[in-house]
Amino acid sequence: MSASTIPASAAPESAADAALVTDYRQGNERAAAELVRRHAPALGRFLYSSGADRDDVEDLVQETLFRAFRRLDTWHGGASFRSWLMAIGGNLLRDQFRKRAGRIVPMEDRDVPDRADPHADLAAGETEERVRKGIAGLPRLQREVFLLRAQEGNGYEQIAAALGTTPGAARVHYHNAVKRLKELVR
Amino acid sequence: MSICDWLSDRMPSVALGETEWTPEEARHLGDCAPCNAEWRLLQTASRLGSAARLVPDPHATARAVLLRLGRPEPRFSARSWVFSALAAASIAAVMWVGGRGAAGNPGSEGTPVAAGLPMPLPELDALQPAELDSVLTTMDDSSSSPVPGDDVGLGDLDSEELQQVLDTWEG
Repeated sequence: MSASTIPASAAPESAADAALVTDYRQGNERAAAELVRRHAPALGRFLYSSGADRDDVEDLVQETLFRAFRRLDTWHGGASFRSWLMAIGGNLLRDQFRKRAGRIVPMEDRDVPDRADPHADLAAGETEERVRKGIAGLPRLQREVFLLRAQEGNGYEQIAAALGTTPGAARVHYHNAVKRLKELVR
Repeated sequence: MSICDWLSDRMPSVALGETEWTPEEARHLGDCAPCNAEWRLLQTASRLGSAARLVPDPHATARAVLLRLGRPEPRFSARSWVFSALAAASIAAVMWVGGRGAAGNPGSEGTPVAAGLPMPLPELDALQPAELDSVLTTMDDSSSSPVPGDDVGLGDLDSEELQQVLDTWEG
């Protein structure tokens, strides 16, 4: 297996997703619930890592899933179901950023975990927070390619299928993202 | 492919625990500062947000999504059609009257009013987007084409809608 191909473990996952999608289309709501259960946490992490406010993540996840289920016919299995969800979530987040463009709050001033907050079990280290801000500040394709690879282990072909680009371009976006971000952990 | 490129390609799968470094790879990571920085970046990025319960209850999320999916799409009622059509007819009448008035002014002959100055129509502010679309699409033929749901008359409008129609007619 080449290092950039889809991990072997992803194939059964994709097959299971495809079966669940088929079941849901045939009216089985439990299949939809199972798809949500399988992918909602990863989708939440993707959105949070992309710069979503922590308090918005749950709503964004729900909205992403709602939109995805309403247009399931546009998922053809070229990308994994999860990558496809993340692409939809990325679009949603971009729309949210645009709407808020007139009242942007710099990342430095928002959503940094309050050390005195007992619910701040996130307890993100300084490096983690710096990296998150760095990822959020990347151009959109760099950000999404980087996260699909770093958090999902997706190969470039799968990323390209999810984001509507080419594997070569995805590779370039990934390396540009890494080049910018690794300065943050030195 | 250099060992740096090779390691770079393998980093996501190792960071996600799918594979492990060989002793030789681990040695290189310790010696090569750029590879080491990239490896620490991948380790950090791969676990971002994992300590937080960002979606505390996926089952509740599933229920909420299914509930929304089960709701019928908002429908455009017959009454909305009538209201929109009446509003369209009113706008057409205002434009026609305005056009006749303008035709009598020196220097304005042949200039359609709609193509000239913007005409404030505060009545449109009360319309929903779908109703507004309907008004705009029926403006061209509002006086001749049959109105969907035209078995519903003015008597079916509530007082506020009726007042808006009358206000439109009265200018």
